Amino acid sequence: MPSRIDFLRMIPYFTGLSEEEIKQVDKALVERSFAKGQILFLDGEPCQGLYLVGAGRIRIFKTSEGGREIVMLIARPGDSFNDAPAFDGGSNLMSASASESSTVYIVPRQTLVSLLGGCSAGAAIVNGLAARLRHLTGVVEDLSFHSVTGRLAKLLLGLAVAEGKSASVPRLTQDEMAAMVGSVRDVIGRVLRVLEKDGAIRIEGHRIMVVNQELLRNMV
Amino acid sequence: MTVILEIDLDKCTGCGDCVVKCSMQAVELVNGKPVMVRPDDCDYCTECETFCTTGAISCPFEIILVLPEDTSEEE
Repeated sequence: MPSRIDFLRMIPYFTGLSEEEIKQVDKALVERSFAKGQILFLDGEPCQGLYLVGAGRIRIFKTSEGGREIVMLIARPGDSFNDAPAFDGGSNLMSASASESSTVYIVPRQTLVSLLGGCSAGAAIVNGLAARLRHLTGVVEDLSFHSVTGRLAKLLLGLAVAEGKSASVPRLTQDEMAAMVGSVRDVIGRVLRVLEKDGAIRIEGHRIMVVNQELLRNMV
Repeated sequence: MTVILEIDLDKCTGCGDCVVKCSMQAVELVNGKPVMVRPDDCDYCTECETFCTTGAISCPFEIILVLPEDTSEEE
């Protein structure tokens, strides 16, 4: 059984820390035990810190509004999870539950911040990567939980720009739309026609006019 | 209507499929390459893009938000 210091040294984030720094992390660790099936935290709740699995298995998952679940990771001893919120200070990005009787260690965010030693460039890089991780998690969520119609509706809502405004009007082929929502051109063509028939958009030649944002939002 | 169909002549092999598929006869081969000769006739059905095997034709769509106050201007 390795000591906690040895355990921390096995975590990629902490392998390069000095003796003093690793002791600082060890001192701040909060140990928690969870029974099988117990929820550690929920998506959207305030983040408690970076979680490290000491023993057992932790299921990290996203849940749709309709109750469907997608498992993003089964974290095993030596794995970390809840990384993005721990570093950017935002709310939990996913939920976590114990797949079996488990022990986890929580590294408080303040400890992680202090390890950066006030390096603004390092903090900016970490925050940038965390933001990218949040975005990619959203993409996975969209692909898993939303239909092509919902994903295309979301894309159109996000891109549409009023003419004459400062931002330039985006231009996309049906192939490009398909690539952005994880579908194929034929399906995009059909869905665009459905959206037009429903009154959410109007297609005038090379222009897709978003005429009913509320209707599109309801499809997301 | 301003047609913004794009033809990449470097990718185009001059096979003429786009001319055959254009139900409006808006595209013709000129010196072995497709040219939008009657842009006003193009209904932007995007069939030429669909059937172009080399990906030389792109039919991008502008995505425009119509604000409620814009309605009166369009009528």
